Amino acid sequence: MNAPTLATERLTLRPLGQKDLAPMTAFYASARSQFVGGPASAEQVWRMLAAEIGHWALRGYGRWGVDITETGETCGMVGLWNPEGWPEPEIGWDLYAGFEGRGYATEAGRVAREHAYTVLGWTTAISLVNPANTGSQGVARRLGAVHEGAFHHERFGMLEVWRHPGKEGAA
Amino acid sequence: MITAPRPQLTGVPVLETERLRLRAPAPDDFGPFAAYCASERSRFTGGPNERSLAWRSFCSITGHWVQRGYAFFVLEERASGRAIGMAGPWFPEGWPEPEIGWQLWNLADEGRGLAREAAEAARGFAYGVLGWQTAISLIAEGNNRSVALARKLGCRPDGIFAHAQLGNCEIWRHPAPDTLSDGGMEAYA
Repeated sequence: MNAPTLATERLTLRPLGQKDLAPMTAFYASARSQFVGGPASAEQVWRMLAAEIGHWALRGYGRWGVDITETGETCGMVGLWNPEGWPEPEIGWDLYAGFEGRGYATEAGRVAREHAYTVLGWTTAISLVNPANTGSQGVARRLGAVHEGAFHHERFGMLEVWRHPGKEGAA
Repeated sequence: MITAPRPQLTGVPVLETERLRLRAPAPDDFGPFAAYCASERSRFTGGPNERSLAWRSFCSITGHWVQRGYAFFVLEERASGRAIGMAGPWFPEGWPEPEIGWQLWNLADEGRGLAREAAEAARGFAYGVLGWQTAISLIAEGNNRSVALARKLGCRPDGIFAHAQLGNCEIWRHPAPDTLSDGGMEAYA
């Protein structure tokens, strides 16, 4: 899958692959994943990673594996997400344990949004956030997004809709 | 707006049989796949499932290609261009060993030997190109049509695999590559 690679000051957003399996499996085995459809077994995570990769082929975009450029460690999965049943395309971020509090999700979310606006031509973007996920609400706020409503998902329940600033406001 | 090449799955071979073209999954295949997943026909392959789950499942086939270097091919009927099902080597996490899987999406396509044609091509690819020395097919209990096809392919029962979501599956062991007259080598290597 020939997904693009994006670089920020501290992070490299690269195509998802085998490198993501172990950190993703650990994340989905932990309570940290409770706001994004987890916990999930190793078997389920393998298919979830496969689906993340396949999302690129169906939509032309998707999420990236996020590495800390200096160390090569994988700290999360961030990008553009619009599976069947979603209200509209969103910017999503999962940050793995031990990498919180350093602004990585915000930094990766910002460059993913820039990709959506400048390369893909999106004119708006949302993020769906579980109402109890205060960490993710903080990331949305730091990205300038505003809580504008709710979306009820058949499996994930009620999610907050956060609206990002448009292309001009997000620069 | 900057334009960038659309990311796509690359490197998937095309296998041609008498009546079928086995090729990479494409976005337009999701419609008929989703209809299959919504129908009772999918009860032996993890369904029925609503459209949003079918979509993720469809994506995961492409991801399986990327992660393993092989996966299901979509079966296109050469005469009509219709996508009628899938077949191929399949080995997701949690499987006991790599298998050859098949599914026809519509009842109307049964009874013409198309699944057999596809499964033989998929097995030939697994043996001839991937170098597998053995192969199984997992068949959910009660799926008599698939059992009949396994027998036609020369498979023998080889135990039960209990899967957390799918329940009990029969393991059908394919003949080894050196015991197959065609072996599948010439056509797909």
